[in-house]
This record gives sequence, structure tokens and C-alpha cells, in this order.
Amino acid sequence: MSTPTIHEQGEQKAPDAPPPRQADTGPEQHAAPSALQRLAGSPKALLVLLTVLVVVVSAAVSGSGAWPQAWTVDIRTPLNDLDNWLVDNRETSPIFLYFLLHISNFAETSVDAIISLFDSMGWMGVTVVGTLIAWASGGADLSRRALRTGGTALGVFIACGVLNMWQATMETLALMTAAVFGSALLGLLLGLAAGLSDRFERMLRPVFDTMQVMPAFAYLLPLLLMFNIGVPSALIATVIYAAPPMARLTSLGLRSADPAALEASASLGSTPWQRLWTARFPLARKQMMLGLNQAIMMCLSMVVLASLIGSEGLGDEIYQALGSLDIGTALTAGIAVVLIAVLLDRTTSAAGERLDATVNVGTTRLMARVRLAVWGMTAVLLGVFAAIGSSLGEREWPDAWTVDITRQLQSGVDFFTDHLGTGVPVLGGTVTWAHGFTDYLLNPMRTGLLTTPWWALALLVGVVGWLVGTWRAALTGVVCLALIGMMGLWETSMDTLSQVIGGLVLTMVVGLVFGILTARVERVERILRPVLDTMQTMPQFVYLIPVIALVGLSRSAGIIAAVIYAAPAVIRITSQGLRYVDPAAMEASRSLGATSKQQLLQVQLPLARKALLVGVNQGVVLVLSMVVIAGLIGGGALGYEVVQGLSKGDLSQGLPAGIGIVCLGIMLDRMSQPAGQRPRE
Amino acid sequence: MKTKQIRNSVIAGIGVLGVLSLSACGAADTSGGGGKDDKVVLAEPSWVGAQANAAVVKKLMEDELDVKVEAKQMDEPVAFDALDSGKADAILEDWHGVPKKQKKYVEEKKTVVSGGDLGVIGHIGWFVPKYYADKHPDIKDYKNLNKYAKDFRTSESGDKGHFIGAAPSYSQHDKGLIKNFKLDFKHIPSGAEAAQLKEIQRLYNAKKPFLTYWWEPQWMNNKIDMTEIKLPKHTPGCETPEADAKCGYETNQLEKFLNADFAKSDSDAAKFIKNFKWTTKDQNQVAGDIAGKKMKPEDAAEKWIKANKATWQKWMPKK
Amino acid sequence: MSETHESAGIAENAKNAEDKAAAKSAGSAKSAPVISVRNLWKVFGPKSHRIPGDPELKDLSAAELTKRTGCTAAVRDVSFDVQNGEVFVVMGLSGSGKSTLVRCLTRLIEPTAGTLEIDSHDVLGMDKARLRELRRKRAAMVFQNFGLLPHRTVIDNIAYGLEIQGMAKAERRAKAAEMAEKVGLAGLGQRRPVELSGGQQQRVGLARALAVDPEVLLFDEPFSALDPLIRRDMQEEVIRLHREEGRTMVFITHDLSEALRLGDRIALMRDGEIVQCGTPEEIVATPADDYVRDFVRDVPREQVISVRRAMRPADKSEANGGAELSPDTLVSDAIETMARGGENLRVVDDGRTIGVIDYACLLNVVAGLDEDGEGEPDKGKEVAAV
Repeated sequence: MSTPTIHEQGEQKAPDAPPPRQADTGPEQHAAPSALQRLAGSPKALLVLLTVLVVVVSAAVSGSGAWPQAWTVDIRTPLNDLDNWLVDNRETSPIFLYFLLHISNFAETSVDAIISLFDSMGWMGVTVVGTLIAWASGGADLSRRALRTGGTALGVFIACGVLNMWQATMETLALMTAAVFGSALLGLLLGLAAGLSDRFERMLRPVFDTMQVMPAFAYLLPLLLMFNIGVPSALIATVIYAAPPMARLTSLGLRSADPAALEASASLGSTPWQRLWTARFPLARKQMMLGLNQAIMMCLSMVVLASLIGSEGLGDEIYQALGSLDIGTALTAGIAVVLIAVLLDRTTSAAGERLDATVNVGTTRLMARVRLAVWGMTAVLLGVFAAIGSSLGEREWPDAWTVDITRQLQSGVDFFTDHLGTGVPVLGGTVTWAHGFTDYLLNPMRTGLLTTPWWALALLVGVVGWLVGTWRAALTGVVCLALIGMMGLWETSMDTLSQVIGGLVLTMVVGLVFGILTARVERVERILRPVLDTMQTMPQFVYLIPVIALVGLSRSAGIIAAVIYAAPAVIRITSQGLRYVDPAAMEASRSLGATSKQQLLQVQLPLARKALLVGVNQGVVLVLSMVVIAGLIGGGALGYEVVQGLSKGDLSQGLPAGIGIVCLGIMLDRMSQPAGQRPRE
Repeated sequence: MKTKQIRNSVIAGIGVLGVLSLSACGAADTSGGGGKDDKVVLAEPSWVGAQANAAVVKKLMEDELDVKVEAKQMDEPVAFDALDSGKADAILEDWHGVPKKQKKYVEEKKTVVSGGDLGVIGHIGWFVPKYYADKHPDIKDYKNLNKYAKDFRTSESGDKGHFIGAAPSYSQHDKGLIKNFKLDFKHIPSGAEAAQLKEIQRLYNAKKPFLTYWWEPQWMNNKIDMTEIKLPKHTPGCETPEADAKCGYETNQLEKFLNADFAKSDSDAAKFIKNFKWTTKDQNQVAGDIAGKKMKPEDAAEKWIKANKATWQKWMPKK
Repeated sequence: MSETHESAGIAENAKNAEDKAAAKSAGSAKSAPVISVRNLWKVFGPKSHRIPGDPELKDLSAAELTKRTGCTAAVRDVSFDVQNGEVFVVMGLSGSGKSTLVRCLTRLIEPTAGTLEIDSHDVLGMDKARLRELRRKRAAMVFQNFGLLPHRTVIDNIAYGLEIQGMAKAERRAKAAEMAEKVGLAGLGQRRPVELSGGQQQRVGLARALAVDPEVLLFDEPFSALDPLIRRDMQEEVIRLHREEGRTMVFITHDLSEALRLGDRIALMRDGEIVQCGTPEEIVATPADDYVRDFVRDVPREQVISVRRAMRPADKSEANGGAELSPDTLVSDAIETMARGGENLRVVDDGRTIGVIDYACLLNVVAGLDEDGEGEPDKGKEVAAV
């Protein structure tokens, strides 16, 4: 009976979360009768209701509400001019000659050098050295961690060879090596600056925040503009995309270093540099390793995606296979990518674990020497293999040892689509469901968004942004919406928006259901956790492949991919939010005899509200980034415009769409971001 | 306060690095990627016909001329940039889909030169399946399309007819046409040619009506019967800008283009590519094997080479 | 400056008050103070520099100052001297500015105004290099949260200060091992800090400070994060070290019993100001104001106050006969003696009877009735002098 008190507490908290401005609607609080008391009690709800009313009515009355044609700005012509200028001046303009071309030549040379290094090492050399490096990262001893890491590496290399993806894997790895090096270095420098200088931190933070919201897809076009299609573009896009987590975590590590240790260091008379080297850096090591891990995973994601702008390797295999609907090959390459992701993640997180001082107990000096020796040996072996490796055997994985599973996969997929796609009795089949989803959810929503007058939509965005976040968020949202309109992308963007909303709804449903399950059922948690962990490290591109097999090319395919991509993060946030609900409140409710449903509905969910909002925010950002990539598999809308712009090399088409995606991303982010807090570390 | 010094040093360091990379090394090398000395790079657009061209040329050049060939997937617009910069040596099948770039590189910069006709005649248009056109003969004129629009509705197109658009990189101005002719259709692009083919195959097998962007040569034409919708006749430049387009597509001789330096080198490879010329039927045969029978391109090429020695003997450079 | 502290509790500690007093007077007589602080200010907040010099602002109360200027004065106009070999304790509640004060001594926090000399060197005027030299050689600090580097072994943590000074690896490790032994960490040298208990970690902190062989050891509430029992061990460790090495120490604490146990002199701080500065006995026996009185209310007085302060003037009849006590004997010991003997005791200084202790005197101390009038100790002294 007393659970309501706790519930009420939750309610009371509600109004003071955003900047309190209840005064405006104050009088209504008294006037409202009991049924409406709740509504009136929270002016926010009233405001939302009013706005929704305005939106619905105006949509019904006006019939069509696209952004007025007269208010659009022609940005295609200047972009075309820019494109022409670039083509004419790429080889003569000083900015290219003295700056950009240096970068791109350097990028190209370094990747080429790494590829030829791998080549001259031969498959045997690469496998041996790779396995050694993984083993050494895991601790270079006989512990489970070290053996597991080394074993994973060996397995992955062999699997990639057997799958006949050796060459592509090497190309991807070469690009990865260069990209990881670049982004780690860039991230380190920026993180160092931001970690030591408050001003720099203040400058970089909003940039990083925005970059985090930007779908990977949007990075490709500007790079294309500067570096043309090819490996340099891909490499540089990757470096830029992956540097922020490294920088962020480096800065965080430097900033959160135990102040007592730093003070102790200063009190002993250390110079600032001594302090940096002996205290700050070592103390930030764990965070930096985490940053490196994240950067590596993001690099992989981008390197694969960057096949759209000319990167080679596994991503290209997938891209080309998608182009010819060769799901078998795409799946095989996808498996290789997944394996590489597992390898890189395991290796770096094992290294990170080892650096963690709390785990690193009982290290003897002998062991430290052994480790040093192993690293040394690895380096020597690298040199030896580079010199003679190719003479030990073929450069590439021997053909005789490969198994072609593409045909089997393809026929499996065909069987699947033929038998489960349609015509399953009663259930209907995946394709039928997808059509249903399109008919009953996506289409009405798109029509709804398109018939809503632009001003009503802007009002909605503003109100939601203000209520959830701050007036600043509201303003940003509205400005982004206006930009979209001005670029003449209203309809395409509404199409994308409808897909995002559809995807978000599904993601939240999936996320909540599984989140609650994992939070409450130990076994589900145990089973799901490793799955979620792995899923969160997967490159986005990989998710596209199985969904086409399921539902064919369509918007719903993209949305399903988005849901699969975004759900793990939402599940995790939800379950964490639920689990970390104040134990005292839980205990109080239990002691009062609340059933577990009562506990969930009246205590956990209300108290975990903030976490759930963070989940929505994450969901929106992730869904959007996937929905636009789905332009490749029939998602249409903004994503398709970008794809078309990329494949036609047409800046004037791709760039506005890219900017539109970014605008949409920022708008959605601001609308779903609780005031005064930043999700995602 | 103590970190100030470090901060300054770091900022100075970044600055120095930046300045170094900007100026120290002088003008950059503009020659583009290396590695083209020992192998010939073919730009291979993403359609199956182009794949067939490349597979046959690659196989012949490697086996008969002992020249290493790499076929890189590149669509026309990108391919022209690559031909210009030397990253690619030749494109075997160009549909004149990028007139702007063609003009710029071939006529103005003269970095790309024509390699002659491919021998295949390309034609793009709007098509409906024959079984539907037989039932409704007057649909053959685009003006009557609206009359039948409701037959073409799908879940993707909502209450309008579904127009199956081309893959992103293909020459097209269908969106403009639909708008300018006030057609009650929605242009739904295909992400890729394969996707479009699959969709068409599905609809064809189910004997459903559909309206699509379609072209010849196309290996699937051996398996399905399509009827063209008559669009206003193409005149040069009538399709640009797309917003004002009110005409159909040009019928053209598909053309080969070569990097100027590669063409001038007069190597066996360049001669061979200039000589390469086959027919729509030949190409469809190889393409059909690749896409229809899911053969590996090199196997399909080998099959054709075995059967058509007389044809390819003529392409060999005279010794 | 070797002294002979006993290591068991306040009583025994204070037994040696005589020695300490002697040492102190000897120190002050021989040389200038090790640390000399005059009118030191530390003000946090906007335009903090104007406050110490502004006659209007400088006397405002803390709350009013914050209200008027947005600044907080953590240290206000503090002056004191620390003599060579002395344990100088700064005590106060949290927020009283004591930790800020100790950091000002080596400019870990930059003072706003005042003068500060260590070994007659003007600390505030030092440039960065000389300041580092000061921190490296003259004053080492032990911190409340230990401030150890988790990625280093115990030995390398202890050797950290030497490493900063640029000492070679083998040499500094040997020295560190020696220090580890000294603070009771023998055999733990290869462990990492996380593997140690809190007390052991603080021993590492202590050894690290000792390793650089500083003239002054600064302690910033070093034991307040520890369990009471371990705290006691550590206090004894400090007392032992002080006895063995006679190093000058500045010790910050919020724990009165710790202050009384360790301090030769105690400075009591409130709101950034020193309210009272004196020996433990002075603080307990003659609190300067109600704040201090409140502070020392629960102190077992008999364990701090000596018979010198408790005695009454002797009658002629009492001048001879009966058990003798030295004037620095603690009241608690006098109680014991009296309980055994059952008669009044004579307080004898230099063979001269200066006063007598009877039951009433002792009970007055225990009951806290001995400090009724201000300046009574003076009266007592006058009496004694008579």
C-alpha cells in the first residue's frame, strides 16, 4: 500500500528535472478537476498534449505541409562549381600541392608499405607474428587469458585463410594498422591537450559530442571532396572517425588521475614533465587502453564502410557482393570481419586488463623480463619473416587449404527466403511481416510526417527539445530542421525520419523487454551478456547482410538492421538502469510486500527513468546511423542520396544529403538528451 | 598552473607538426598511386555486362599476352576520375552516363582518349512485362500510364504506382520524367542492379504487373519478355537538367575509354584493348552465365573463350 | 636532537614534557626557527589578492566575506614559528584551512599574501627551480590519501622522490629498501600498493617522504583514513621516528587526541585563523575562548595537565616530608601515587618544594574546575615563583 509513496516521489521529481518554469501554467494547477489533476500537475504534459493537438489538427487541415519551395536555397549550383574547381585544380592548387596531397600520398604510401610487408612475410609469417602479438598482449605466460588471446588470434587467422579471404583480410588489416596508428596518435595528442588545458577541453568537447552523433556515413563525402576516391580518403575518414574516443578517454584519464598521487609527485619536487611521464600517463593508462580499444573497433567499422569511397579488403568484398546480391560471398566476408573484430577486441581488452593495476597482482620482475623478451622476439620474428617469409611458402594462403562456403551459404539463404520469406502457414513469413510493417507503420508515418505542416513539426521539435533538455537544445533542433528544409531535402528527410522513428519504436520495445529480462533474470543476463558484448563491437556494415537474406531489399530491411544494431546498447543501458536503482527503495518496496510486477512498474521503472532516457538517446543515434547506411540495401531516402552521390561522384547530390543526415542526427540527439548530461563516454 | 607549461609545449608541438606537414616538404607528388607499371587496371562498372567484358579481357590478356590485369569495381563517374589520374588504364563499357566528365577529360584536359566502340549497342528505356502489355496494349504510350497506375501499387509506393528505378550509378532521369509528365507513380530506386533483377524476376514469375527502368544489352532479356513504353524522342542535352527532362533515352554505341598515357604507350595491352569488340549476344552469353547460372566470372569467361576462338583471335595485336 | 619519548599513550608521552621543554628552549635559543610564517593569507575566489590588504575586508567574518566578495579565506593572517626538532601540530575541524595551510608551506597552494621562510630562505620569492629544490630536499609530505602510484611496486614508490631527483636506479632502490625496512615494510618491496592494507600503504607514503631525507616532514592528516587501531600503531611509528631522528615535523590533524599525543605545540585553527597556539597542556588547561574550551571538553584532563598546574601553595608545615613529585608529573600519575600512599604529595623542583597536591587539587583537575579564572596559570606560576 505504501508503494504509492515511492511512486509519488518519482512523480514529484519530474518537474524539477528541466529548468523550472512552471509559473507560466501555475493557475491551471488549481483549476483542474481530479481526473485531469495529474495532467495539470505537470505543465509539461499539458504542453506536449497541446502541441500534439496542434500538429494533428494542422496536419489534418492542411493535407500537405512540405517546406515552402520559395524558402529553399540552391546549394547545388555552388557545390557543382566547387566540384568543377576541384577537378580542375586538384593538381595545381597550392592547397592540394602543399598540404592535402602530402597527406594523401603519405597515407597511400604507408598503407602500401604495410601491405607489402604482409606480402613479404607470407601467410605463415603473418599468422605466427600475429598470434605472438596477441599472446604477448594477453600477458605472455601460461595464464588462461594469455592462452585464450593467442588461441583466438591463431584461430582467426586460420579461419580467414580457410574462408579464402586471406588477401582481403590482409588488405583490411593493413588499412587497420595504418588507421589505428593514425587515430591513436591524433587522439592521444588531442586528448593530451584537452586533458591538460581546460580551454582546449571546452573547445573540443562540443566538437566530439557532435562527431559522436554523426553517422559514420556522413564522414565519407567531405573526404571524397578533398582526397578523391581511393585509399587515402578511406584512411583519413577512418582516422577522423575513430580519433574522438581515444582523445576523450585520454583526456578523461589524465583528468581523473588520483589527485593525491599528482600532489604527492609535485610535493617531491617533480617538474611538470616528470609528473606527466611518471604519474599522469601511467595513471591514465587504463583509460587510454580503453580508448584505444574503442578507437580500434570504430576503425574497423569505418574501414569496412569506407569501401564506398575506395578502401580495399573485406569491406570491398561485402560492398561488391551486396551490389550483385551475392549473399554467400557477402556473408563469408562478413564472417571474416566479425572474426577480425573479435580478434582485435580480445587482444586489446586483454592488454587493457593486464594494465589494470588492481588485476596486475603478483607480477614478478622475472615475468616482466619474460614479457620483454617475448616482445623482442616478436619484433625479431617480424623482421625475419619480412626478409625470408615469402620463401617459406606461398605469400597467400594456399588455395588447397581453402573451403568455398559461399555457394552453400547462398543456397542456405535461398532456401531460407524461399521457404520462410513468404507463405509460412498462419505466420506468413519474414517478407510478409516486413510488408506488413511497411504498410501499417512506415507508410502511415511517412504520410503523416509529410502532411504535417513544417511549422507544426518545428513546434513539436522545439517543445520536445525544451522539455527534455534545455531551450538551447530546442533551438538547435529547430535550426537543424530549418536547414533541412532550406536545402530542399524536406521530403527525403521526412522519409528517413519516419524510418528512424519506426526503428526507434522497435528498438525501444526490444531493448525494454530484454533489458527488463536481463535485469531480473540472472540466467538471461549470463547468456546475453557475451552476445551483446560481441554485437557492440561489430562493424555496422556486417548487419546489412543477414537482413537482406531475411526480408529482401526494402526499407524494413534497413530498419531491422538498425534495430539489431542499436538494441544491444539500449538493452544494456536499460538493464543497468534497472539494476542500479537505489537498493533502499527496492528493499522498502519489497519489505512492504510488493509483487515483483509492482516493484518493476512502481519502483524500478520510474526510478530508472533517466537511464531509459539515455537509452532512447543512444537508440536514436544508433538507429539513424544504420538507417542511412541502409540506403545501400533499399532504404532509400537520405541514405540513398548519399550512396548515389558517392557512386556517381556527384557532390551536389551527396553532400546536401550528408549534411541533412547530420542535421537530423543533431536534432534527434538534442530532442532526446536529458538536460545537463551527456550519454556515452 | 603547473600544467600550463606542458600544455604550452603540447600546443607548440602540434603547431610545429602542422607547419612541418604544410611546408617542409614542398610540393607533393601528383602522379597518384603507383603499381601501374606492371599491371593493367581495368575499371569495371557494377553491372553484369561490364563484368563479362572485364572477365574475358582479363583472362585473355593474362593467358595470351602475359600481362597482369586487375579489374577494380568502379562506376562510370569514378572510373573517369581514375582514368584521368592514371589510377585506372581503361574502361571497357561506357554508356555516356557522365557527359560532363567525358567532355572535361576527353576534350579539354585530353587525359582520357576514346578506345573505340565496344560493338554493343546500348539502349535504355521504360519497360513493362509483355504479358501485361498484351492485356493492355495502350499502355505502350507513356501518356496512358496514369490510367493503369493503380495496378502498380505496392507497399513501398503507397497509393501511387511503383516505378522500379535504376541502381544509383546508372544514367537516369526518371524522377524528372515522372514529375514532368505528372505521372501517378513513385520512383523507387534500386540499391543495386542485382536487387532490381531479383525484384523483376520475382514479379515476372508471379506474373504481376510492374514498370521498370530497363536496358539492352541485358542477359535477363534471354529469359523474360519485356515491352517498351514509348517516351518522347531523345535529343542531345534534353535530359539535363533532370528537373526539366521531358524525353527518353539515347540509343548509343557503347564506347571504350583509355588513359591517354596508356593509349600512347602502344603496348600490346593497349592494342588489345583497342581491338576488343564483340556483340550483344556474346556479352549476354557470358553475363548470363555469371549472373544467371552463378558461375565465377573467370569460369564463364573461359567457357566463352573456348567456344569463340575465331572472335578473339582478331583482337590479338599483330606481332 | 635526540629525545626520549616513551611510546605508550599520552601519559607516558607527556612524562617527557620536561625533556621536550628543554629541547624546545634549547632549540630556540640556539638557532632561528626552521619554519617561520608571518601574516600568511590564502584567499580563494575572484580578485582574491585585494582582500588581505584591504582593511575593510580583511576583518570580515567568513560568511560575510563570501557574501560581499565571493571569496573564501582559507588561511587568514596566520603567523607561527616551528623550531628545529619540534613536532608542530595544526589542528582544526574540516574546513578550518589547516590542509590549505600546510600546502602553502611548500607552495603546493600558492599563498595570497604574507611571508614564509624555511631555514631563513624566503619561500615565496623562490623561482620554480629553487622551489623544486626546496621540495626535493627540505620538505617532504605525507598525504591523507597516500598518493601512491598504483602501477609501481612498493620499492619504486618509495624511490619515487629519489627518481625525481635523478638518482640512478640501483642506488635509489637500495636506499628505498633501507627505508622500507625502517618503516616496517621489509619483504613487501615487490608488492603493489593495492595489495597492501591502508596502514601499510601509509607506511609506504611515510617511507617515500623519509627517503629523500628532508629537514621537515609535513603530514596532512595522514592517519585519518585508517582504522583506530592501525592509527594508533602509526602514531607510535611517528613518535618512534621522531625519537630516533629528531626530525622537525608539521602535523595536520582533526583528531584532538592525536594532536595531544604527538604535538610539542599545537595550533588550533578555526575559519582560517589560529585561535590558540601552545603546548597541549596550555590548550587544555587554559583554553583561549569558548570555541577551544568546547573543543577540549572531553579530553581526560588528568592525562594532559601536570601537577605544576594543579598544586596549591605549600604551607610551611608541608615543606618537608611526604612523597615528592616533579612539577611535570601528570595528574593521573599523581592520583596513582596518592592512592597508594594516601597522603598529600610535595611538588619539588630543583630540590625546592614549590607546592603541594592534595585530594582537592586532583579532583579539581578531574572535574574541570581548575581553570575557573582567566590567567590562573599565571597566578599559579606566580605562586610557584614565590
